[in-house]
Amino acid sequence: MLLGGAACLPLAARAAESADPSVLVIDHALAVGTATGAPASFIAPTQAVTLPDDWSVTRPRFDGSVWYRASFDRPAGADPHELMALYIERACSNVEVYLNGQRVFSGGRMSEPVTRNCHYPQLASLPAALLQDRGNVIELQVQGHALQRMASRQRAGGLSALKIGPQTLLAPEYQSRLFWSVSAVEDASVVLVVLGCVMIGLGWMNRREAYLGYFGWMSLVWGLLSVRMWWRDLPWDTGLVEFVFCCGFAPLVALAVQFLLSFAGVRSRWIENALAAQWVLVPATLLLAGPSRLFFVASIWYPLFMLEIVAAVGLHLVVTWRRRRKHFWPMALLMIAIVVIVAVEQAVQQGLLPAPRVPLLQLAAPLLFAGMAARLLQVFARALRDAEDGRVNLEARVKQITTEIEQNFAQLAELRVEQVTEKERKRIAGDLHDDLGAKLLTIVHTSESERISTLAREALEEMRLSVRGLTGKPMRLADALADWRAETVLRLGQANIEADWRSPPDETEQLLPARGFVQTTRILREAVSNIIKHSGASHCKVRCTISDRQFGLTVQDNGKGIPMELDGKLDRGHGMSSMKHRAKQMQGQCLVESGPGYGTVIRLTLPL
Amino acid sequence: MNNILLLEDLPEIRAWLKVLIKQVFPDAQIHEAARVHDALGLVSAVKFQLALVDLGLPDGSGVDVVAALREAQSECQSVVVTIHDDDDHLFPALQAGAFGYLLKEQARELIAEQLKRMSQGEPPLSPSIARRVISHFAAQTRPQERPQNMPHVALTDRENEVLLRVAKGFTLPEIGVQLNLSRHTIADYVKQIYRKLNVSSRAEAALEAQRLGLFRR
Repeated sequence: MLLGGAACLPLAARAAESADPSVLVIDHALAVGTATGAPASFIAPTQAVTLPDDWSVTRPRFDGSVWYRASFDRPAGADPHELMALYIERACSNVEVYLNGQRVFSGGRMSEPVTRNCHYPQLASLPAALLQDRGNVIELQVQGHALQRMASRQRAGGLSALKIGPQTLLAPEYQSRLFWSVSAVEDASVVLVVLGCVMIGLGWMNRREAYLGYFGWMSLVWGLLSVRMWWRDLPWDTGLVEFVFCCGFAPLVALAVQFLLSFAGVRSRWIENALAAQWVLVPATLLLAGPSRLFFVASIWYPLFMLEIVAAVGLHLVVTWRRRRKHFWPMALLMIAIVVIVAVEQAVQQGLLPAPRVPLLQLAAPLLFAGMAARLLQVFARALRDAEDGRVNLEARVKQITTEIEQNFAQLAELRVEQVTEKERKRIAGDLHDDLGAKLLTIVHTSESERISTLAREALEEMRLSVRGLTGKPMRLADALADWRAETVLRLGQANIEADWRSPPDETEQLLPARGFVQTTRILREAVSNIIKHSGASHCKVRCTISDRQFGLTVQDNGKGIPMELDGKLDRGHGMSSMKHRAKQMQGQCLVESGPGYGTVIRLTLPL
Repeated sequence: MNNILLLEDLPEIRAWLKVLIKQVFPDAQIHEAARVHDALGLVSAVKFQLALVDLGLPDGSGVDVVAALREAQSECQSVVVTIHDDDDHLFPALQAGAFGYLLKEQARELIAEQLKRMSQGEPPLSPSIARRVISHFAAQTRPQERPQNMPHVALTDRENEVLLRVAKGFTLPEIGVQLNLSRHTIADYVKQIYRKLNVSSRAEAALEAQRLGLFRR
């Protein structure tokens, strides 16, 4: 315990040179520490300190109250009627202000649970009634904790330099500081909690996109951990609060690592187990070390956490580079930013860098989270759109295939009917040839009567043509003409009749149905038979004409013509009526012109 | 003509054909068979100069007998005697080595005349058969359908010319006049066409058999 010997107080503090003459900056003070927080009247500060006073440097392991005392004159530049105020940039954890022996300001509870004002700036009005022009004494009682008991250097006990000046001048600085250190963080943590909940919901709906859930929880946990920055009056004592928050980083890191891995599409049971073990190990080590070594243990864990994050980032980027290069650069930029900010924060915690005026990590992280969330939503939306497109494509494809299958089935059924019909026709044709054909043939060659033999032969030819009409496929008109020509010329030649056949020289691709071929063959055969048997002609002229829709055949001889019957009609025995009948069956017509002396002309026209 | 094979299952027709053959070749010895099995037995025992083969037989197709004759007795002329005039039935027999065909129901004199012509080396050729021969060789000359090891049998330009004219319906004497060729020269071309059809068909069949054999292995 330090009990001051110096009863009277010389000017222990002096005003620093200030740019503005109306603002006084106090950066020297006399200080005394008291573990009990005894009132100022009993102790006299003796130790001269420079402000800002960082307890971790000037009084490590000290826990309790420190009294600071400084005397000052009313700033010369200030308007005498101006309301004056004291601005404390940082007093950690809490402060009470006395002016000339009177308490003028309190930040909150000074005993456990101490109000957590570390991140809050303080602005205390100095009542004009207490303020004298010269020789004012200002006393501050700062309740704080040793660095080792805290999880973060920012919450170790200490007092910044003091500013005394007109309230109107100091208020904007106070407001700005309050906004950046507290309000912004507070708003951001609310936003992150909401964002986290949304992402968790999204992840819940889309279980396959596990990274959405991880991100949501990460965001939520971060938001909850940010509470330590702005929630001043937590209902637990400082040790417990610091312990809980420090432990809170283990799940946060676990979620971050899991998010990075699952977003890259990697899954490792081993890593998952290690992260789960960490949840237990962190509190265990903290408990084992005890509250007085909290910062020491935490500053072992934090770099480890950082290394884990960096490793996960590295793994994520490597995998992304290999598998989905187009996702690489946006993620790489975000990741690098995260790594840099985490590294800076670590450097601050280890005391390698001076504490920044704004809580860098707490402000940058929400931005990065928001960026990451935007990226995730973009990826998710794109995947959703792709899936939708895929579904539409699939539907179209299914429809198309269904149509194809139906068509194929119809074709197959048709084909099957055709095949069966074809098979049946072939069977009938075979039976006709084998049974009827053989019998007719026997008659042809065994009959004593020439007439019966001829009839049987004609019957056989008819049968064969019928079978052909039954089983035959459509044939090219040019081929049919060739067949007719060969047969006609051969038969006429054998009967010593000069044949003159002319058909169009150009190859036509028109088709003639099997029935049409058979009927025309019969008509032509009949006509030629008539010429050979009855006409006595020496010359026969055949002409063919082919147009788009019509086929014409003219057979002309120079014989004696067909004799008239009594009724003026042509002789039926010459088969004219059957020729006409056959032509009619094919929607064509067969005209016969004949007269004694000028031969016979048969004109056959058929539609194609 | 010393030995003639007559394969026909209908007894009346066989008797009728026998009389007919006797007329054309009075001093030939005629060996009759009613079944493929009997005919194949005769082929392995007797050397024939001429064979008249029916296609539809109770125990198989006359095509097998034609093929056996082509294999064992290459000088023997096989003539298909059939009731089927369509080339679906005739063409396989021609591919197997038949030298011509006769339609059974034709008048005795006509068949006798055709038989005499064929024995003198003047086989008939109808337009529809000519068209099938053309498409057979057209398919063979397509390189992607002809494997490397397959002997390439090609028709000469003149043979092609004759074939094309037959396919258009001109008779052989007419073509002789058009091309200024003698009746014997035209007949030689037709014989060559039949021979080449047989050679290329056999190569094709052998290759097909080989391919199937490879598949089964």
